[in-house]
Amino acid sequence: MTISEDIEGSSRASSLSFEISGAIEYSTPDARLGRLSIAGRNDIDTPNFFSISSRGVVPHLTPDVIGEHTQPGGVHVALEDFIERATIGTPPIMNVPGNAPLHTFTCLPTSFITLLAPRRTPAVIAPIGNTNTAISIFTSTGFQSLSNKAYVNYAEKLHPDIIIGLADVPHGTVPGVKRIDKMGDRTEGWLTELLASEHTKSAVFAPILPIEYHSQFEYLNNLDEFADKIRGLAFYDSNLLPDIPATTAVAQLPRLSLDEPSSPHEILRQISLGMDIFTIPFIGFATDAGIALDFQFPSPSTSSEVVSTGNGSTTKSLGVDMWSTEHSTSLDPLSVSCECYACTIHHRSFIQHLLSAKEMLGWALLQIHNHYVLSKFFSFIRESIGQGTFEADCETFARYYETELPEKSGQGPRVRGYQFKTEGPGERKKNQPGWRGDLEVA
Amino acid sequence: MSTFTPAPMPSALTFELDARCSTTKARAATLTLPHGPVQLPLFMPVATQASLKGLTPEQLEATGCRLCLNNTYHLGLKPGQEVLEKVGGAHKLQGWKHNLLTDSGGFQMVSLLKLANITEDGVRFLSPHDGSPMLLTPEHSISLQNTIGSDIIMQLDDVLVTTSPDAARMREAMLRSVRWLDRCIAAHANPTTQNLFCIIQGGLDLEMRKECCEEMVARNTPGIAIGGLSGGEAKADYCKVVNTCTGLLPELKPRYVMGIGYPEDLVVSVALGADMFDCVWPTRTARFGNAITKHGVLNLRNAKYASDFGPLEDGCDCLCCRRGDGGLNVTRAFINHIAGKETVGAHLLTMHNVWYQLELMRNVRKAIIEDRYPEFLKQFFKDLHTDKAKYPVWTVDALRMVGVDLME
Repeated sequence: MTISEDIEGSSRASSLSFEISGAIEYSTPDARLGRLSIAGRNDIDTPNFFSISSRGVVPHLTPDVIGEHTQPGGVHVALEDFIERATIGTPPIMNVPGNAPLHTFTCLPTSFITLLAPRRTPAVIAPIGNTNTAISIFTSTGFQSLSNKAYVNYAEKLHPDIIIGLADVPHGTVPGVKRIDKMGDRTEGWLTELLASEHTKSAVFAPILPIEYHSQFEYLNNLDEFADKIRGLAFYDSNLLPDIPATTAVAQLPRLSLDEPSSPHEILRQISLGMDIFTIPFIGFATDAGIALDFQFPSPSTSSEVVSTGNGSTTKSLGVDMWSTEHSTSLDPLSVSCECYACTIHHRSFIQHLLSAKEMLGWALLQIHNHYVLSKFFSFIRESIGQGTFEADCETFARYYETELPEKSGQGPRVRGYQFKTEGPGERKKNQPGWRGDLEVA
Repeated sequence: MSTFTPAPMPSALTFELDARCSTTKARAATLTLPHGPVQLPLFMPVATQASLKGLTPEQLEATGCRLCLNNTYHLGLKPGQEVLEKVGGAHKLQGWKHNLLTDSGGFQMVSLLKLANITEDGVRFLSPHDGSPMLLTPEHSISLQNTIGSDIIMQLDDVLVTTSPDAARMREAMLRSVRWLDRCIAAHANPTTQNLFCIIQGGLDLEMRKECCEEMVARNTPGIAIGGLSGGEAKADYCKVVNTCTGLLPELKPRYVMGIGYPEDLVVSVALGADMFDCVWPTRTARFGNAITKHGVLNLRNAKYASDFGPLEDGCDCLCCRRGDGGLNVTRAFINHIAGKETVGAHLLTMHNVWYQLELMRNVRKAIIEDRYPEFLKQFFKDLHTDKAKYPVWTVDALRMVGVDLME
């Protein structure tokens, strides 16, 4: 493992290359294999995923643990996590010495790719809308506006490997007709400014808006003109994928999903549409809920764990709820034959105990395991696409597993304010208080 | 009670004295326990509920830790004796290959349960989880610790805050602790694989401490703890108790002062002849955003560190601070950015603080072996306080008792 030292960044970012390899002609026409390369970073075989960070860290995992025990291709970093001080001065991250401030500041292993987006994924809904020059963001100290000018300035200084252009996305609200008209125009204008910056060494991914194709037709058409300057597409809605003309240069760009897939089935659907790289919020949701993900593609080699539903058909759960006391004395790993750190060194009993005792290590071990399960999932998907069996394998997977992740039954780690917005007065607490009996009756 | 003759007691440890300071009472020793040797003097971090506050056992091992604590009281409630029995003990539960020490649960009676009711039988208290009445007896405590399988187990003692003005109750607690030790010895099922330590009680009354030392030493346990301290007493009184007890304890047994962890307390207590210490302070203060350094504790949540891109401590060799060789290059600014917001901030500071404590004791040991512990002490206080006028009076006085004058 190597950890970020100041690295030579001059030729790094613009060195992003993406090669689509064979197998396109097989089965599902649009699922594709590729390789994303950035000088100084590990190559990523796609389809694959990036970890989602919070304030620059993958929740629960110290940088040494990420480097040693997880294998994501890169890390999604939200600018809004770093600039709460922008209203009173220069945010500290702008003063980080060296050529790769984002890597240096967050202590990420040098082999990892950094992807900078303006907002977290999922993003907290802002009470005020975006303007022609700026979007609303949610920092740890409250809402702010982030102008495109400022965003370009951050990009020039922070040198992320990949940067997603500022997009006029109405998080959480349904845009009206007039707003939809503006979205494409604003986003195109902001992207043009970002691409015009001479100091940006990062690979720019153009955002694709979560509105109908015809509503952003002009913007998407104009992307062709930038095709030599943009290095990828970032989809806020994966359903736009089939609308990208296969014949243009834009179709050869890597595609990143910000569409927040809710299950592995949804990931498969997006891959079948031609998605290459994912950000997957459900990994973190499962970890916080105390759920150990437990699925393989297309199905486990041993089918001993299939649960009968009683009517002849069998579907297996996508995860194991580790809060359940049925695990309290189990020395089994979280998933049979899983080779992650949590499964090889520890067992269900310990993780059940840690959750029940609210010890932080419980969530750390689940996070390691859940990342590992997704890494394996993608590696088998790539194998399947390569062998031309992807379509059939997706059907097997759909038959074998339940459609949604199991419900959360226990409690999560303490909720911090900055990633959630309160819903107003009288909101119920996320976690139950501990027992507060009256000791005086002793 | 003075006519007590001890039954020969098996021991699952060996204690080798490696060096002695020619000025102070400090000693360096090697203690070999069932899960390997540890070097004394030693600080033991506290993994209360079978986990060191977010660190993997691998990360704890990387700090050099080979002996850490678990709390019997907590493990008895969660996951409970039945689970521990089925899993095969606490080592197996937490994936820890090295040594464990468990306390008896007695201290939690004072620290967590203000209204616990202590009788000759044991301690009666209400479960903090559901309020159901529970009774912790010496036999039950030992049985739990036998199930946990820790390398060092502690007797159940009658703990009273040292500052208690009730001398009669203090004496009762001391005598009861001796009686409970006998019950613990009788109940101990694994004397050849687990080492039972007695705990000297007696508050701040030196005569009572002497009496207790005599009684406890006569029981010939493999190791001896000095208990009931770090409960808010004056530091000068603390030092007198430790100094008195170490003077009465056998040379060739480990001496463990319970609940001590501030760096100043550690180096002074070592000079007074103590070998082993534990405290939750380094890991707890880490969760509050504090980094321990040789120049004092830094509260990294303070805005002045927001743009401080230096390491937590210059020259520190912990995983966070180390430059190169797999070091993470964690900066004060980064901790400021995540402290109190992402638990990773606490994990990183926990690693640093545990490393600081263990490294301090490694350096203490080295100084004792090279017979320059008085010089070490002088440098330590110089680094910490810069100005001699700021040295705490109690440290100066305590070290004078063992022949070191910090003011020289």
